Amino acid sequence: MLQAHSFLWHYLWLAPQCLELGLTLVLWWRGTWRRFPVFFSYLVFAAIEQIILYVLDISPKVTWQTWWRAFWAGTIVEAMLKFGVVAELLHYLLRPWPALASVGRHFISVMGVLLVLVAAVAAAFTAPDNTHWLISGSHTLMQTIYITEAGLILSVFLLAAYFHIPWERVRFGIALGLGVAWCEHLAAWALLATGALTLRRELLDFLNLATYHVAVLIWLYYLLAPLKEMPKSAVSLPENSLAVWNRELERLIQQ
Amino acid sequence: MTLAILLVIAALLSLLVILGVAVSRSLHVSADASLAGQIQLLDLEAFRNLADPAEDAYLRSRLPASEFRMVRRARLRALAVYVQTAGQNAAVLARMGQRALAAAEVPTAEAAVQLVNQALLLRRNAVLALVRIYIAMAWPNAELGAAPILDGYGQLSGAAMLLGRLQNPAAPVRIAVW
Repeated sequence: MLQAHSFLWHYLWLAPQCLELGLTLVLWWRGTWRRFPVFFSYLVFAAIEQIILYVLDISPKVTWQTWWRAFWAGTIVEAMLKFGVVAELLHYLLRPWPALASVGRHFISVMGVLLVLVAAVAAAFTAPDNTHWLISGSHTLMQTIYITEAGLILSVFLLAAYFHIPWERVRFGIALGLGVAWCEHLAAWALLATGALTLRRELLDFLNLATYHVAVLIWLYYLLAPLKEMPKSAVSLPENSLAVWNRELERLIQQ
Repeated sequence: MTLAILLVIAALLSLLVILGVAVSRSLHVSADASLAGQIQLLDLEAFRNLADPAEDAYLRSRLPASEFRMVRRARLRALAVYVQTAGQNAAVLARMGQRALAAAEVPTAEAAVQLVNQALLLRRNAVLALVRIYIAMAWPNAELGAAPILDGYGQLSGAAMLLGRLQNPAAPVRIAVW
């Protein structure tokens, strides 16, 4: 079951890509892709990239060197798109609140610089897990990318949580899916890059594929499920708070 | 291997934080009913006294240097408590404003946007003010400016009053004791 080229392996590699392509078609048809163009581009690219890698993987004519070169090229472009998605999320998160825009951007920029430094140090201390640089280098590259990306998306979540910045539902769903996938990918690629679990590497592949599937399902839910209408009564301030404030004011006046 | 373990632990903690934020976000709706009760009263006069440079100058002129540093640190600790409380109040008000953002009436929604923006501004100022207070604790002779947080709190009080009046014209709302 948990072997390469098993039914589950084929399903977990292909199903999220098919769902992603279906999602992009719906977003295109509805015209909502204009609200998050970078994330939309990422969805399209990631789906096509993974389908190409899948075809290259099962094709007997393709050498392993060709597959890893394609993997490198796809990873680099995808990483740039993912950084763009984080920037897009941050832009729309802070845009309605000018009071926090500058501080928020500075915070994420500083965190980005620190994360790149940490990722570089981690890469320097990672011993190659394979004799061929194409493979060991790609593992280290993935670890480096996910240290930065997971750290950045965590920083965005912490920024929003600390300042109580309201998330737009769709963008929260995008960030949640990315956060879940990138944190798990960081753990898995760290284990792969350092040569841990050498004998059961396929388990980490399955874990990566399954987590990405979950992330795609999160995006499907948040991007396609209709928003529940909030009842009007929910927006009124509680009466008891007004009485408390009045009582405290009167007490102060009488002192 | 140690590096891998560290990264796995960091990844798991990050995942827990993100999932925790997601869960707490979904629980906010039920918890928001008690939001108003979470606002704590703040004595602005006492805060102004603690933040007044003239008071510090007076104490500096009257007390020996070592005693002044001790008193100054005690005053700064008290000031930090005020600032933290103001920041917590701002967070509560930001959540109240966010709930009101969904209001159908345009004036209420506009007042809610103003309230949230000013609450976020105060929360930001509270962070910056705390940094300055903690630096001043390390160097008690340094000057300390607390005017931005004081101004922010005053503006926030006005915005909360506006929102309260729009939602319930009969009842006055106050978040600060002047």
